[in-house]
Amino acid sequence: MNSCSGSELRRCRPLLGTFVEIAAVGLDAAALARAVDAAFASIECVQNLMSVHDATSELSRVNAEAFLLPVKVSDETFAVLERGLAIASESAGAFDFTIAPVLASWGLLPAQLRRRAGGDWRDVNLLRGRHVHFTRPLAIDLGGIAKGFAVDAAITTLREQKVSSATVNAGGDLRVFGPEQSRVHLRHPDSAQPLSNPISLRNAALASSSPCLTRKQWRGRTVSHLVNPANRRAVANRISVTVRARECWLADALTKVVLNAPMLADRLLEKHQAEAFILAA
Amino acid sequence: MISRITWVTVAASAAVLPAYAATYLNVAQAQQAIFPGAKLRESPLKLTPEQRKAIEKTSGVKVRTVELRLWQVEAGGWFIVDEVIGKHEFITYALGLNADGSVQQIEVMDYRENYGGEVRKSEWRAQFAGKKHGSKLKLDDDIKSISGATLSCRHITEGVKRLLATYELVLRK
Repeated sequence: MNSCSGSELRRCRPLLGTFVEIAAVGLDAAALARAVDAAFASIECVQNLMSVHDATSELSRVNAEAFLLPVKVSDETFAVLERGLAIASESAGAFDFTIAPVLASWGLLPAQLRRRAGGDWRDVNLLRGRHVHFTRPLAIDLGGIAKGFAVDAAITTLREQKVSSATVNAGGDLRVFGPEQSRVHLRHPDSAQPLSNPISLRNAALASSSPCLTRKQWRGRTVSHLVNPANRRAVANRISVTVRARECWLADALTKVVLNAPMLADRLLEKHQAEAFILAA
Repeated sequence: MISRITWVTVAASAAVLPAYAATYLNVAQAQQAIFPGAKLRESPLKLTPEQRKAIEKTSGVKVRTVELRLWQVEAGGWFIVDEVIGKHEFITYALGLNADGSVQQIEVMDYRENYGGEVRKSEWRAQFAGKKHGSKLKLDDDIKSISGATLSCRHITEGVKRLLATYELVLRK
């Protein structure tokens, strides 16, 4: 391996519904193993809090109860909701984490979420003391932002553990930190071959979204896990959007803005010092 | 204002090439990663046809091999090396179980993607170099990170389900 300080450790675990690979350098072997273990643990923590598939997660409790009464949540969940609402507001709803009922109606999320199709992101109130309240029956799915947030949490842990550089890659949503430039190859989901020109990355994140991964026929229509909130229809064209940004949650959320509102996206990318790459097959 | 969006057209290629491969841990390293400092005793096991059927029934997952690569942890618990095959991926992973049968940890040991049949690496490279003239891209030495393809870990989830049923029906005493 090409590290200049200490050994390199690379580990991979099945988490967040995909494969999470963590690579780190800059400590002795035992300390490095502890740091990488701790980073995986912080990803697992985000997964346990925010999984919409897990009926016992904090998010599932919010979805079940927040219309009836304010629900107190963890710092992590509150932070993701705050950031998600900020991007929803900046993008005039092109990013909206309340499209879960639509996905449920297409068989892509648990069926009981179907009934909570009463509103949108504007009906989510974040109150003092980390309380969440819905002004209409809603269901939130953090799939479009929490994976990136989990990658950020892992990077934060690795920095706290004093590794000198690290890469966390959760099935294509990734972030690197450290003095070196990393090269990341982009790939369209319909094509096995990565592009020959890699993207350079230094203390930055990349996230990708594409309807090609989940596109399927549902009762005579083409659906995918990506929904355009403006018309609540599936994004079904064969493109893949990758965004480079400072942090992975931001890159993750901005991919949806680029997909759903390309005319708006430029301004938002500019504001967040981000860039987008659209791969068309 | 210069646009911050770049369009890239992906050439439609005959996707018959292995795309990504990574080796993370050998058996001894995986044992150390999941059970640091522990003593493990190899105790391979062959499932009987009845056991196989019962595991398939309980887990709802097909048992591909009856040979279990199994180790017993001296202080209690089990270490199992298993393989799962997806449409394009071939994965070897290790599952650590605590003495009570709960999952201690899962580590991917070896990950390979394959699109199409087995292609020898040298042939693969020759073919690739011809197609991507001038590029420095090489298999698995250079490609460390890929973005844009979120692969599902569903097959591992199923594999773990199968192994947990194996524990319940065969290993648990």
